[in-house]
Amino acid sequence: MRNRNATAYRFLTPYLLIFAVFWVWPIISSFLISFQATRTVPWRFAPAFNWGRLIGDPAFFNALKNTLLILVIQVPVMIALAMVMAVLLNSPLLKARGLYRFAFFAPVVVGEVAYSAVFRLMFNLNFGIINKLLNSVGLPSIDWFSNVTPAMALIMIAVTWRWAGYNAIILLAGMQSIPEDVYEAATLDRVSKLKQFFFITLPLLKPVIVFCLVLSIIGTMQLFTEPFLITERGGPGGGTETLGLLLYRQGFRSLNFGYASAVAYTMAGLAIAITLVQLWLTREKQ
Amino acid sequence: MATVTLNKVVKRFGAFEVVHGANIDVKDGEFVVFVGPSGCGKSTLLRMIAGLEDISGGEIAIGGKVVNDVEPADRGIAMVFQSYALYPHMSVEQNLSFGLRMTGNPKADTERRVKRAAEILRISELMDRRPRKLSGGQRQRVAIGRAIVREPQVFLFDEPLSNLDAELRVQMRIEIARLHKELGVTMIYVTHDQTEAMTLADRIVVLNAGNIEQIGAPLDLYDDPANRFVAGFVGSPKMNFMAAKVVATEKDAAVVELLNHGGARLRKSLSSAPPAVGADVVLGVRPEHFCEAGEGDCDIPVRADVAEHLGSVSYVYANAGPEELIIEREASRQRASGDHLVVSIKAGRSLLFDTSGARIR
Repeated sequence: MRNRNATAYRFLTPYLLIFAVFWVWPIISSFLISFQATRTVPWRFAPAFNWGRLIGDPAFFNALKNTLLILVIQVPVMIALAMVMAVLLNSPLLKARGLYRFAFFAPVVVGEVAYSAVFRLMFNLNFGIINKLLNSVGLPSIDWFSNVTPAMALIMIAVTWRWAGYNAIILLAGMQSIPEDVYEAATLDRVSKLKQFFFITLPLLKPVIVFCLVLSIIGTMQLFTEPFLITERGGPGGGTETLGLLLYRQGFRSLNFGYASAVAYTMAGLAIAITLVQLWLTREKQ
Repeated sequence: MATVTLNKVVKRFGAFEVVHGANIDVKDGEFVVFVGPSGCGKSTLLRMIAGLEDISGGEIAIGGKVVNDVEPADRGIAMVFQSYALYPHMSVEQNLSFGLRMTGNPKADTERRVKRAAEILRISELMDRRPRKLSGGQRQRVAIGRAIVREPQVFLFDEPLSNLDAELRVQMRIEIARLHKELGVTMIYVTHDQTEAMTLADRIVVLNAGNIEQIGAPLDLYDDPANRFVAGFVGSPKMNFMAAKVVATEKDAAVVELLNHGGARLRKSLSSAPPAVGADVVLGVRPEHFCEAGEGDCDIPVRADVAEHLGSVSYVYANAGPEELIIEREASRQRASGDHLVVSIKAGRSLLFDTSGARIR
């Protein structure tokens, strides 16, 4: 047995080496760097330099506020939308199911730059189709990129468009694993379809919904692409700057690796904390 | 309580017809079992009665009222599923009361019905448990309990015992028989297990490939099967079939020669005109109807291949090959493979079939 394990580990060695160098070491290294003042040469150990700054940095709190705002509004809306899409996909009345499944999943495989460019065009103040549609129903144009609230809404719409279908497919898989005869039993019990959804489907889907929520929370905590590409690096005036963007700006624009590492660990810590709270709230009660 | 009448009921899935015009009359309070091999359409028939499958043709009436277009919940039926179909996230009590709670049944009445079902099925101490904390037998009781609280006119059971082990199956079978006696309600029960059918049913409906082969009381099917399929399906171990040829005929009898048993001949009395001389026929003899050499009307020598000793009886599997025979013998520990023995067939306990499987009476 020991011999077999040794052989297995020999096969695993190339991967483990890459894993250690490019995953484990950066994790440890960035943790250590977060305690160093990296704007001096040579770097020196100064725990308060980055972590102290974090506590009093308005830019950090702005990014944190924006990230949490997106998390609190966008994630529940997206999961609810994904649930509606999954229910529609699961409906026996639906024709061309494969086409819809592809359409819902397609945003995930579209290149980030391409979709961001399309969103910028669609929401353009002067010739974007969204404003044209608003005008056509008598509403005024919205300057999506110059005002904070519309810009935040735009980020949320974009993220929702991109990931709702992905979550819908996961929820659909969960729905399809619920045995049909449970619904048949409920039908014989004269339970309406709506009540079946709320009293059977939702409770039985809870582990899958929690999984989707955890994935979405982690994803939103790391949100970078949309505010970077669509609202032009967190604009207007930092109005859509997220923690991911702050990290990027500090680490790779200002080359302040120590502070960027502290932000990174804060993001990871928050994601873990929120996820744990959520798992606790939705735990199976005995 | 209610009658259930199926009149020329047809079921098609697309162009494929799976039930071909079934006619069944289930009397008020009767226990009827649909039995047949996998894919014979018995579960489909039950699901059509429940309203879970559309009816492609014909009529189904419950309590004299045609229910073809009546919603499942309004048919006055309750169904117990093979997989139990319990709500996994609810306690036993919630499982039992769910349907009543959802439809706004008065709380006191719901509690009364749940309590009564729990008492009937002796599950009162399990009420707070979730289904996954229950054994297979307990789950099955809860599933039956859920049917009882509906106070239906007709109970439908879809292979309810097939997920249980052999011992529990016997126990639950007795429970279901007791339940039928206690409630006195019409019950329709689907199974592929002919032992379940024989022990539970007032009447059995034997199905094969979407056709009803015979309807009758268990022992009537055993003693007087309409055709070779029913003869082979009812009884355990199954009936032996021996290829034979008519070698002579009389006014009310035929003499047949067994083709694979050394030309042994048997005179079989018939109530109808005998088949023509030279016609191929099949002689059916149940394992328990072989007797000792000389005691019957036709002795045949056999060579035992395997002997199964069950204690009370022994089964000898003889003449491995195209026509293996199963012979029930008195309990014996001596008989073993390779033994040669002579058994005898009583003409009165044998059945004759033509090559299409129809009975020659």
